[in-house]
Amino acid sequence: MAARDEILTRIRTILSRPDLPFPPAEAPPLTAGERMTVTHAEGARQQLAKRFGEELTQLYGSFEILASAVEVRLALVNRLTDWAAEEEAARKGPKPETYGQDRMVLSWAPDKLPIAGLSEVLTDMQWKLVAPQQLTTPEALDGVRFIRFGVTGVEAAFAATGSMLVVSGAGQNRAASLLPFRHIALIPFSRLCPTIEAWLATQRATGNLADLLRGRAGWNLITGPSKSADIEMNLTLGVHGPKFVHAILFDDGKPETTETEEYRNWRIEKFEQSETEE
Amino acid sequence: MTLSTIDLTLPYKTRVQDALSNKHLRVALERSTGRMAGQRAAAMAAIDEQTLRDQVRQMKEHVLRNLPDLLEQLERNVTANGGHVHWAKEGVDLQRILVDIARKANVQKVVKAKSMVTEEVHLNQALQNAGMTVVETDLGEYIIQLAGEPPSHIVAPVLHRRVEDISDIFQRELDMPPTLDPQVICSVARGILRKEFLSADMGVSGCNFAIAETGTCCIVTNEGNGRMSSTLPRVYVVVMGIEKLAPTIEDAFLQYQALCRSSTGQQCSVYLSMTSGPRQLGDTDGPEEFHLVLLDNGRVDMLAKGYGEALCCIRCGACLNVCPVYREIGGHAYGSTYSGPIGAVISPSIHLEVTDVNKLPYASTLCGACREACPVKIDLPRMLLELRRDVVEEHDAPLFDRAAMQGFSQMMQSRFRYETAGKLGSLGSNIFASMSGGNIKFMPGPLAAWTNSRDFPPLAKRSFRELWHERQRQRQSIGKEMKK
Ligand code: SF4
Repeated sequence: MAARDEILTRIRTILSRPDLPFPPAEAPPLTAGERMTVTHAEGARQQLAKRFGEELTQLYGSFEILASAVEVRLALVNRLTDWAAEEEAARKGPKPETYGQDRMVLSWAPDKLPIAGLSEVLTDMQWKLVAPQQLTTPEALDGVRFIRFGVTGVEAAFAATGSMLVVSGAGQNRAASLLPFRHIALIPFSRLCPTIEAWLATQRATGNLADLLRGRAGWNLITGPSKSADIEMNLTLGVHGPKFVHAILFDDGKPETTETEEYRNWRIEKFEQSETEE
Repeated sequence: MTLSTIDLTLPYKTRVQDALSNKHLRVALERSTGRMAGQRAAAMAAIDEQTLRDQVRQMKEHVLRNLPDLLEQLERNVTANGGHVHWAKEGVDLQRILVDIARKANVQKVVKAKSMVTEEVHLNQALQNAGMTVVETDLGEYIIQLAGEPPSHIVAPVLHRRVEDISDIFQRELDMPPTLDPQVICSVARGILRKEFLSADMGVSGCNFAIAETGTCCIVTNEGNGRMSSTLPRVYVVVMGIEKLAPTIEDAFLQYQALCRSSTGQQCSVYLSMTSGPRQLGDTDGPEEFHLVLLDNGRVDMLAKGYGEALCCIRCGACLNVCPVYREIGGHAYGSTYSGPIGAVISPSIHLEVTDVNKLPYASTLCGACREACPVKIDLPRMLLELRRDVVEEHDAPLFDRAAMQGFSQMMQSRFRYETAGKLGSLGSNIFASMSGGNIKFMPGPLAAWTNSRDFPPLAKRSFRELWHERQRQRQSIGKEMKK
């Protein structure tokens, strides 16, 4: 720890110099009241859903807005079937080896998805929903690496930028939104917020933002399909992550809240101490 | 074999000459820098730009004023999240720490997401010397790794290469059939790199910012290689400069959006990956080991020497894209990991091996475009001037510069001397100019460096001061006329 103490002590000594040109002696933190919202959005849920879709489309993603959870199951199956046919038609040359994974969908655990019964509907249509318990060994990864479709829910989605926040946890693998060629995100209206800033403010007001973030190991804000401009600023899609991102937004009829019952219980259990202290 | 457009170890002057005479480089620079600068300007104009810049600035000033406390807070939180924190004073310390972590975890293959800090300390070489395979996974970084070159831009590492050059590299190194389609080149890389991700033991990335209040390390990427590196391998190591902190989550998202708009003109990058420690009980995937390495390597010196303002930099690259010098010579001519105006300011302090590092503050026209573009409002021209002064004071400058600087400062201290010098200069230069027909075509001694490439106009026959006085006199007399 010699290096640590040396570095910290040295910075403290330098900062105490009255003649130091920078940083200024008075350097107050930004307060919640003054911090700006960078990209704005407002309106009722339908409008927010439309705005989300427009933003995502500009980034080469796609979307659809559905009236109820019931419609989502059907829409998803139809999409999968269409995409599979599309890819088959576009394929040049022999079919690549997929080790029986071409009718599979890599997913979060069914109980972590915002609609019920998806697994059954998929099975009826000769698709298979795969939600691994564990993806940390080469063998486990081999079992999913040729799957072309990934399905997840979201923690929150932001209309102003067409972004979605996904989070790791039990039953919520990180791979489903990362490894497959296409990522399909299921977004109930109750998870849709106008802006990142609005969501942060709500979470902060309920007193749990910091605990929420560090309570899960991996968070990702995803805005559109993977892309690169490294070759002469030419846009190329699907460099490492999914080449297609499709959002299905739907009215789940629930009141607008970003914290689910289940999540709240989990949080209270995990941070019981800080709750009781309050 | 090294294919670098410019040999970084050559003297500064030769590097610049090589860059200026490289036609392909000029084409590549022209195709990219203008576009990046335009995208930034449009993305900033769409929002309340001034407020955003002021607020990010205020946040960074607060970070630097409270740096030790915030670093301690970050360390506490990362540790509480189950991660390990290491401190490195110099590049060699960082190399040693990384090799130790890798050896202990029995690592064979390392995948890297783009990181300037690890470039700065030549981490790849160290890991390779320790017997490990290191694969750069950012598309641009992968291309230059194949070509054996260093990056030439903070954000777009292969900006110095045309698509034709990149295709050549892939054909030679990977046996790719000839194509000029970026999408095809990209899918070749995707296939190869996917295999590397799935078989790697350790992922290494930089850190765009770390959140002190939660111990969360954040990386901003578009391709997804950052997510792969932080998700798939058993061990994930984040390397960050000690200044890259955001106190709160809200601060982090503010800086994030300023960075995206300023670097690539995006509202949000495709991915913002936030990691708070190793995978938790019940998690399906994610690394089982998480390390954060904090690097000084001259950053504290920067603060001590009065260049602390440069530590506000969020590495967006905007100042490179607008700099008339960078746009002409590209990144490699600077000879440093960090190029452009910000590179010229920090390279002399950061512990890097750069040939002629003291010449870098002169790689600027002081036009001020960088200051106008900077999302943190860093006064780069002022610091470049101060660095030039330091160079002169350190007697490191050529004898002529020193004499000239001394003469200049003496002259400026007395009005009489200033005016006399001006008159003499005017007289002398006009005689000189009239001998060579209008402009001065050659000058003696080191001044020849100027006249070798362009003419030097003679000093005005009458000084601005003289003209001003005369104008005032005329005005007064006109005023008197009017009153009559
Ligand atoms: S100095 Fe400013 S403009 Fe240049 S890279 Fe840093 S933050 Fe961006």
